[in-house]
Amino acid sequence: MNPLELTLGIMTAVGGFVDISELVFAAKAGSKFGYALIWVFALSTIGIIVFSEMCGRVAATAKQPVFSLMRHRLGLKLGLATLAASFVANLITCAAELGGVALVINYLTGAPYMLMAVVLTLLIVLSIWVLPFQWIERTYGLLGLFMITFAAALVAIHPPWGHIAGGFVPQVPHGLSKKELLTFGYFVVAIVSAVMFPYEVYFYSSGGIEEGWGPKDVLTNRLTALIGMGLGSTLAISILANSAQMFEPANVDPAIPGSAALQAAIPFGKWGLILALMGMFFAVAGAAVETCLANAYSIAQFFGWVWGRHKKPWEAPRFTITWIAIFAIALAIVLTGIDVMTLVEFAILFSILVLPLTYLPLLLLANDRKYMREYVNGALAKALGWFYFAVITLAALAALPLYLLTSGGNG
Amino acid sequence: MLRRSPLILLLLAGCSKGPEADLQYIGQARSLGAEWALVNEQANKGQLTATYVHSMRQWLRDGLTTTASSLTQPDSRYGAEICTLLAEPDDAAPDELRVHVGRLKQIEDSLESA
Repeated sequence: MNPLELTLGIMTAVGGFVDISELVFAAKAGSKFGYALIWVFALSTIGIIVFSEMCGRVAATAKQPVFSLMRHRLGLKLGLATLAASFVANLITCAAELGGVALVINYLTGAPYMLMAVVLTLLIVLSIWVLPFQWIERTYGLLGLFMITFAAALVAIHPPWGHIAGGFVPQVPHGLSKKELLTFGYFVVAIVSAVMFPYEVYFYSSGGIEEGWGPKDVLTNRLTALIGMGLGSTLAISILANSAQMFEPANVDPAIPGSAALQAAIPFGKWGLILALMGMFFAVAGAAVETCLANAYSIAQFFGWVWGRHKKPWEAPRFTITWIAIFAIALAIVLTGIDVMTLVEFAILFSILVLPLTYLPLLLLANDRKYMREYVNGALAKALGWFYFAVITLAALAALPLYLLTSGGNG
Repeated sequence: MLRRSPLILLLLAGCSKGPEADLQYIGQARSLGAEWALVNEQANKGQLTATYVHSMRQWLRDGLTTTASSLTQPDSRYGAEICTLLAEPDDAAPDELRVHVGRLKQIEDSLESA
């Protein structure tokens, strides 16, 4: 197998795990609760691996992307409601990512934030227009690997590995007040949402079809989901652990995305800072591409339009107009001056509400032997699928009350 | 009444005023001050680029200004402390900034335990 075949998973995971929301959320989780939330990342990572593998297998064998399934399995009304909710969630996330990219360039070059938001949106649109799908994923996926700087920083600061390993055991820290317990609960729910963002499976399953996956690619899909998501999770946990080591003792509860880059600067100096910012730039830009294309894929698949970046833009005109329009609306949101972190909070909240409706049709189809034949879910995939469906349904029910009671995890 | 309690709690969370409502802003200001101190400390050690330092200070100051303007009781002890923090020069000594952070942390802790 060509290692470059893994880039779809790497881009999906780097853009999904270490996008602008995770950069702040993982860092905040570490500074507020030390290593106590690592298990939530680990648990959610297994969940996203299970569902990514499932949607990739469905795409490879039944040639069905997620939103096409949704219309058939949920019916028109519920399918349309899911489409509307996921559109809003992805649009807000896309706006947050565009704002994040502009912020990172502001940290790197000092160029004005608003101007950079416009220029970089145009450059991202141009890159999607010009590059074939495989080169889009390779460019953003591979350059996003600069994020490994954060994992290297963790090794360099010699953290207490035993405590980090202890963080993988499910736990609620002792001695928390009621308010802190609610905040901890909110972080659990928000991490589940951020790790299992619906746009990741929309993008991943559509990407598999863009790449022309067939039954022979089932193993590639399995490895891509496992390695890609495993890598993304390692990076997110590194940011959390760095934060527990460097930020918690300094009373820092990172409020702006730029603070995360300090984690690489403290052990490695200016070059660490620059590499971390470059990694953040490509990971967040990749997430902007993912969220925008995921939205355009969803709409096109739901309404049965011709879609895909493997076609020339004018061969799929409604799909092309849709993804350009999504970038334009997302940019307009950024240009209102709304804070990127506020966008991130809304994106997480909306996403978790959509999660059960995203994963249910996928699970039903992957369990259907008539449809999937020898590629149907085995006993383990079925059990894990229903377990994680229960987890995300509980998280979706708890999300809004916890958000309101904790002011979005701020106390 | 019991059935109504969660709804009332949710509404109170959105509409409350006073130190309780300001607690999240006090925490934000404390963190922004601590981030500012960390940036200045690393800048003094030559670990950061000048552009990053300039940019971060600007965003942190903007964040503090927004936080100060969100307080429901700006004339309070914590309001005054946040204003004093904002009055510090961009390149203030990290220890000086941490004195303000420490005071805000004390206020935060005392309000949380009240």
